[in-house]
Amino acid sequence: MNNRLLIIEDNEQNLYLMRFLLERSGFTIIGAEDGRKGIEIALSCDPLAILLDIQLPAMDGYAVAAELKKHPELDKVPIIAVTSYAMVGDREQILAAGATGYIEKPINPETFVAEIMHYLPKDRQTAGEK
Amino acid sequence: MITDTRPARLIRLFFMLSLLFSVCICRTTASADVVEEPAIKIGIYENEPKVFTSKAGKPAGIFIDIIEHIAKSEGWKLQYVPGTWAEGLERLEKGEIDLMPDVAFTADRGEIYSFHKEPVLSSWSQVYAKKGSGIRSILDLDGKRIATLQGSVQQEAFTRLSESFGLKITLLSAVDFKQAFAMVAINEADAAISNSFFGMLHTEKYGLEDTAVVFSPSKLLFAAPKNSPQHLLATIDRHLLEMKENSKSVYYVSLKHWTSDEVTFKIPLWLQIVGLGGLGILIMSLVGSAILKHQVGLRTRQLRTSEREYRELVMLANSIILRWSSEGLITFLNEFGRQFFGYTAEEIVGRHLVGTLVPEEDSKGRKLRPLIEELCADPRKFERNINENVRRNGERVWIDWTNKVVLDEQGKIKEILSIGSDITERKQAEEQISRLNEDLRQHAETLEQRVAERTAELAAINDEQRTIFESASTGIVLLRDRVILRCNRKLEEIAGYGHGELVGKSTRIWYPDDKAYADGGDIVYLQMARGETFRHEQQMARKDGSLFWVRLSLRAFDKNDPLKGAVGIIEDISDEFEAAENLRKAMEAAQAADRLKSAFLATMSHELRTPLNSIIGFTGIMLQGLTGPLNPEQHKQMTMVQNSSRHLLSLINDVLDISKIEAGQLVLARTSFDLGVSIDKMAKLVSPLAEKKGIALQLDLPDTPMTMTTDQRRLEQVILNLLNNAVKFTEIGSVRISCLSENDHFLISFADTGIGIEPAEIPKLFQPFHQVDTGLARKREGTGLGLSICRKIVDMMGGSIEVRSTWGQGSIFTIRLPRQAGGRV
Repeated sequence: MNNRLLIIEDNEQNLYLMRFLLERSGFTIIGAEDGRKGIEIALSCDPLAILLDIQLPAMDGYAVAAELKKHPELDKVPIIAVTSYAMVGDREQILAAGATGYIEKPINPETFVAEIMHYLPKDRQTAGEK
Repeated sequence: MITDTRPARLIRLFFMLSLLFSVCICRTTASADVVEEPAIKIGIYENEPKVFTSKAGKPAGIFIDIIEHIAKSEGWKLQYVPGTWAEGLERLEKGEIDLMPDVAFTADRGEIYSFHKEPVLSSWSQVYAKKGSGIRSILDLDGKRIATLQGSVQQEAFTRLSESFGLKITLLSAVDFKQAFAMVAINEADAAISNSFFGMLHTEKYGLEDTAVVFSPSKLLFAAPKNSPQHLLATIDRHLLEMKENSKSVYYVSLKHWTSDEVTFKIPLWLQIVGLGGLGILIMSLVGSAILKHQVGLRTRQLRTSEREYRELVMLANSIILRWSSEGLITFLNEFGRQFFGYTAEEIVGRHLVGTLVPEEDSKGRKLRPLIEELCADPRKFERNINENVRRNGERVWIDWTNKVVLDEQGKIKEILSIGSDITERKQAEEQISRLNEDLRQHAETLEQRVAERTAELAAINDEQRTIFESASTGIVLLRDRVILRCNRKLEEIAGYGHGELVGKSTRIWYPDDKAYADGGDIVYLQMARGETFRHEQQMARKDGSLFWVRLSLRAFDKNDPLKGAVGIIEDISDEFEAAENLRKAMEAAQAADRLKSAFLATMSHELRTPLNSIIGFTGIMLQGLTGPLNPEQHKQMTMVQNSSRHLLSLINDVLDISKIEAGQLVLARTSFDLGVSIDKMAKLVSPLAEKKGIALQLDLPDTPMTMTTDQRRLEQVILNLLNNAVKFTEIGSVRISCLSENDHFLISFADTGIGIEPAEIPKLFQPFHQVDTGLARKREGTGLGLSICRKIVDMMGGSIEVRSTWGQGSIFTIRLPRQAGGRV
């Protein structure tokens, strides 16, 4: 069963933190350190969901979300923004760009996996668990 | 010619006539020898063109032509007996001659002589005076010398006529009309009277002219002695009628010949009527001589009546004729005058003017006696005077008097002749006009005065306006059709022109280019045509071409016709404009700085959170034991790291919030939600801490939903903050949250049994970075920003926050919020 999650995140420690927590819950993690690579992988690996940082080099999260939305094959794939942006309108802006959900950094390691699960399709919300 | 008429020449003329007379007698005597028939003796005298002696010494004239024609037809022999007019009449009366030509019929003569019926000629008498003499009417003849033919009808009639006017006339006798005319020509007489025939032919020759004094119309006939045979006169009548019916007869030929003027000689209408009357009489004569006689009598009476009527007409003329002495005594007043004033001759003659015809004073109070005295003293000065007179019944009348002085032989004033016309009505009309004029004048004066006053007022207003105009601190201009009519000094100054330089110039000079000029006009006139004031800030060119900013207000004098002109207020706003420009630049700079600050804060927030994410994340993982079990000391220290990281995060969040609020960037959202649900949710968040501290957390909420419209997340932030504080500063007891509805507000209170707040601390409570009990002894964690953020959020929502506290016993924080609190939808 497909349990692949794509994480587009340029900060190595943050990617490691999320990978650690999610892999422990049975997900297969594919990491991408910039938007361009993230889009490539998203189109090739058929992920269950995409976790997207906003502040990325070259191509920011808003642009990546908008690009991903252009591909019909990714229609059903939730995009979950995981961001430290906390200014007025950040949440609204990323949701408008095509993200399904929004998780503010710093993440709470105790609730993070549950929050991700919440955005997955109903039949998969427990699939990742061992 | 005039010299010919001197007496010496006249004597010579008479000698010549006497010679002719004797020749004629010889001839007729010779004829008498051949034919048994006795000659008819005809008196002749000098009265050209009717009867006279021609230059060839033969009898001539109209009467002579006619009688000779009749004599030729009838086979009569004629014998002429020359003489003067008077001699002729005398001879006729004695029967020495048979016919006397050219005798005017009068009633008196009808008693002495016999006349035929059909007039040979009709004539009238007329006064002739020297050309330019000024004699026009009968009144002008007063005191004059008048030459008349001795014993003539004219003399008799004129005497009566002049007496009826009360005139004093000296009559001079002349042997014939030529002599009479000659006397006037040499100034021996002032005027002459002749029949109209003579006058018509001789006025020019003697330098005379006719006057309007015409009288005694008469029929001129042949007269015969009273006892002369009837057939003689009847024959004359028969021939005359025949001749008058034929325009080519001797009668007309003679008239034409002797008057030499066919056109101007017109038989007056009345003469024709008389002629017709004569025709009627002739027809009647065929019926019988008795009827004829009766007709003669009738005709005589008719003629008498006619003459009397004429005299009465003259006497009754609408003129007052008054004569008075230089002492002012009335000597004569004609009948018209007597009737007019209401006196009889006996009553008025001999009385003084003043007190009779002249009142003592006129109706205006003017004394008239002095006027009369002055007039008496020197009447020559008063050829004409108009004054008020009085009738016997007291009625005042106005008379226009013409005065003439009558002198006696010594040249002294004998009498004054005054001819007056009643002009009362005219005078009244004049007075009426005068009153109206006076009214009009007074009215005009009032008007003039008002105009003067108004002019003065306007001048004052004008002065005021000019002063305002010139001393105004803004430029003022009067425009017509985009041309400057007037402008004040200030405008010249701001536009850099000299005094008077702008007048008459097109406003084109104010625009930097043609397009701006054209565009400007379009807008301005469109707006002014709507009656609006055009207000605009625009650049205007100075004389030197430099541009500056002005505020322009233009308004048309007449919105229906903007071409009538407009008044413009032009204010130099270059300084103002520059200040505004600087302000705008400063604002832009500030906004740029603010954007920079926001960007900085966003970046800071992100940059700080990214490492915190790792710290908090991995600390949590380790404390969860996901990486293997921790010994108690490790767990304790990792917990410290975790707390410190969370504190750091809340600091970052608070700093971000306060910055946003102060920059005005905090924008409230607006959604409707149940306040009770939100309070419950926040209470659940703090309940673990309360449980841990052994503090009772009590909720006192109404059962019904409390619908609230505002930014839910921010209100929850406030509630959480206050709940946290309450739990944080309470060691023993309870924290109680209650909510109640009051009108359109909600009151949420947080009561604790904590340490309380010292009264001195309360005012500082909501200041940023202030925490009660700060300093070295700080026991509670927190940024010190929480309450100030709460207050600012509640303020933004249109609510208030207040605190009551008793030191050592606890505090009550109360938020009062409108149900519809501020925020954007």
